Amino acid sequence: MATQKELSDFLAQVERRAFKQAVFAVHDDAAALDIVQDAMLKLAEKYSARPHTEFPMLFQRILQNAIRDHFRRAKVRGTYSTQLSSLGAGGDDESDPLDTLDVEDVGNVPDSPAARFEQAEVMAFIEDAVKALPDRQREAFLLRYWEELDVSETAKVMGCSEGSVKTHCSRATHALAKVLRAKGITL
Amino acid sequence: MNEKDFAAKLKPWLDRSATQVGELEATRLKAARLRALDAYREPVSILGLATVNGGVLENARYTLLQRGLMILPLLALVAALTVQSIDTDVDLGEIDAQLLTQELPPDAYLDQEFRSWLGSSR
Repeated sequence: MATQKELSDFLAQVERRAFKQAVFAVHDDAAALDIVQDAMLKLAEKYSARPHTEFPMLFQRILQNAIRDHFRRAKVRGTYSTQLSSLGAGGDDESDPLDTLDVEDVGNVPDSPAARFEQAEVMAFIEDAVKALPDRQREAFLLRYWEELDVSETAKVMGCSEGSVKTHCSRATHALAKVLRAKGITL
Repeated sequence: MNEKDFAAKLKPWLDRSATQVGELEATRLKAARLRALDAYREPVSILGLATVNGGVLENARYTLLQRGLMILPLLALVAALTVQSIDTDVDLGEIDAQLLTQELPPDAYLDQEFRSWLGSSR
């Protein structure tokens, strides 16, 4: 069973990433904050008796459900707008963008204002590209590679098969690489 | 480059993006976290067999109390009816009146005690 400190530490550690995940999904900071707050409350209220090692997966499951609930409610209100995705899978380009994309290690924050500006621009572009991914691809990609859940954990959180997770992750990665390459972005 | 390598290179960018959350959002996130911690209830062990969080136990107690309150009017009604049914006090004034006006119901004459009383009073 988790102590209050373990819960506090866990939430402090994940809150910003959770917020970003929600922003990527719902494209609205205020709604994302509400979603994260709901998820935190639910974890504290219902799962504090569970070992803290289970928190990452439980929290992700709660968070993803909260995001889905947000869309359900929005749909009911009739304000749901379909996301436009320029990164859909199955494009005409047969080549693998991962083969040609130059990637370098991300250094520290650059010293010069120009370099800092450039880095901010790249980051904004990456965020937009992640936002533009189809929902399931983005969910799988972020859970698998940002939250570092393994395939089976990701499948449990998403409520799908491990094969689907692999497919979503692969498509998301290729879509992101393609967009970055098209923009000439070097990570 | 394979999928994992690419994702590994992208991760620091996402991490940095998360650290650059605005001050307002960071404050609201902290407030949300504190609110969640307020909702935390120390886990409670039930007879050493299972552990549930305090909230669940509190909810269970609350539910029991709620149910108790819901059936309270019903219990009161049943109690009232029971008291009424075992209330054997006879309205003596009414019997006297019926006796004087000779409007006693025939059942009264079937009562042995009444008949013996009637005989002795003549």
